Amino acid sequence: MILAWAKRKWTYFAIAALIAFLVLIPFDWFLGRYTSIMIFVGISTMVTVGLCLLMGYTGQVSLGHAAFYGLGAYFSAVLSKTYSLNPWLAMLIAAIATGAFAYIIGYPIFRLRGNYLAMATLGIGLIMWVLFNQLSQYTGGPDGMHGIPYLSIGGFDFDTNFKRFYLVWFFCLAILFLSQNIVRSRTGRALRAIHGNEAAAESLGINVTQFKVKIFVLSSVYASLAGSLFAHHLRFVSPQSFDFLSSVKLVVMAVIGGLASIWGAIFGAGTTRFLSDEVLLGLNQYPQLDIIIYGLILMLVMIFMPEGLFVAIKSGTLWLRVNWRNLPAIMNRKRKELPNQMKYILGRLLFARLWRRTEP
Amino acid sequence: MSQPILETRNLSKAFGGLIAIDKVDLKIDTGKITAIIGPNGAGKTTLFNLIAGVYQQTSGEILFNGKSLKHPPWYARAIKRGLNREILGDKLQRHVSAHMRASLGIARTFQHVHLFGNMTVLENIMTGQHTRSKYGFFGAALRLPKARREEEMINLNAMKYLNMVGLGKHANLNALSLPLGQQKLLAVARALATEPKLILLDEPGAGLNALEKRELSDLMKRIREIGVTVVLVEHDMPLVMGIAEWIIVLDSGRKIAEGTAAQVQKDRKVIAAYLGEETDSAEG
Repeated sequence: MILAWAKRKWTYFAIAALIAFLVLIPFDWFLGRYTSIMIFVGISTMVTVGLCLLMGYTGQVSLGHAAFYGLGAYFSAVLSKTYSLNPWLAMLIAAIATGAFAYIIGYPIFRLRGNYLAMATLGIGLIMWVLFNQLSQYTGGPDGMHGIPYLSIGGFDFDTNFKRFYLVWFFCLAILFLSQNIVRSRTGRALRAIHGNEAAAESLGINVTQFKVKIFVLSSVYASLAGSLFAHHLRFVSPQSFDFLSSVKLVVMAVIGGLASIWGAIFGAGTTRFLSDEVLLGLNQYPQLDIIIYGLILMLVMIFMPEGLFVAIKSGTLWLRVNWRNLPAIMNRKRKELPNQMKYILGRLLFARLWRRTEP
Repeated sequence: MSQPILETRNLSKAFGGLIAIDKVDLKIDTGKITAIIGPNGAGKTTLFNLIAGVYQQTSGEILFNGKSLKHPPWYARAIKRGLNREILGDKLQRHVSAHMRASLGIARTFQHVHLFGNMTVLENIMTGQHTRSKYGFFGAALRLPKARREEEMINLNAMKYLNMVGLGKHANLNALSLPLGQQKLLAVARALATEPKLILLDEPGAGLNALEKRELSDLMKRIREIGVTVVLVEHDMPLVMGIAEWIIVLDSGRKIAEGTAAQVQKDRKVIAAYLGEETDSAEG
């Protein structure tokens, strides 16, 4: 009976285990040396969740999300350093201002669809990047801004990685839970309906444009919060962190995490971050190698696992659990089919369409 | 005589030079099953799209429950407050848009089923309940009590409509894993879940076998019994003649006849339209 109960409530167990694991990470006897990377994983996860909602659930591409990430970071930096506002207040103002900006540009942008939408968001990303560079009396230009204050609550400063780890992951998990609730609701269904078929969604009374703009605003607010945390964590912001490549990285994270799965965002952000900070850093003599690798990952995942790596692994383990008894027989059959399989893979590579159309 | 639920006056729609709907006057009676028939390219689907708000008419007017669908309520209010039409801009979204019509009580199905393939059967119908519930992002994110209450209600209603079309046992399957006949029934149930006053069915019988067609006409009778007016576009004459209480015949964008099944079958213009005879004398 206990087992049946555990089976029914296994998501709670999974979440409890995840939280316990996260709580232990920053201790030196556990995974203390990864604390700094895990902070960035948390920050990236926040942006990725927003992208998952926008791209995976609603089916709207954004190639310029680093713009909102950067806006959050720069608003926080400028308000709290130059105008010496309370960092929390700066963070709040940043989120509201970024959301308002997304709302204003959302209506004209979401008249576009598919590739055109992608181009427009790309444009926003580039424009913001230029502004971060050129408005140098506020942003410090290409050299960036130093000496942004830490966040603190009533005299308790978040001045070490150990403390900031919990701060960031508190925000991150809060956003994950809120998004999870949104996905499993009337609103989430409306978003998925828009992805599935816009004409049908409209015929059921869903205000398609309004919902697209709303989810765009929500994801930009997530990105802005992440940006603020980024600024107050590193105490340094510069335009390099918010260029086109970082927009692409965010998309890669969302794609690896599985566009239509909220918790996959942690996986996507984690894999990408560890890849760039741990694995690729060793290859210092090839400075642009990570771009090539991200491009490759994006291509391969899109062609072979359009649901994302996370979902593919999940369904793969399920398949193994069902089929593990006759695994030898299956392997034997697969070996005979291998030549045909290779032809198939070659065909997928040659004739793949990267973006599947949503509208006829 | 009761007020017609839907009325079109002088309704026209042109795509560039092609006139798809040409000064059509219709009256759809409340609580009846009305069929719109006509040869291919007669403008039946265009008419549906005009009524559902997908297209905007070139001229003429559509009245739903006696109220014009030309302007959304805010536009009418603005005019009343004395705002100039030029200031508002006539090019600004003039008609009541499709999603607003859905909440007013016009539901529709599509010729190509247009189900949401990324959802289960039940979720498809729950999406239909969108306009009958209110809670938004905040309610959803924080799971406010109101959101939970509404969600329970949505679930109950969705199961009700699912059982009405007899798909109750397939609730948790992916919508596109159903065979075509059941997909069509699901599309009808999804439209019904918007709790409409008028339901527009675009070729519901296409691609169905005899048994499924019988189920479909039974379903349409049940829909009428719960007080929803049914309008269908259909090519299958036996189905139409068996079920429709009023038939409207379109040909190349014009209404050429209307009446009961017996009247329409005898009409010379209708026969001519379907068989391609010369109708010089008929036009007078």
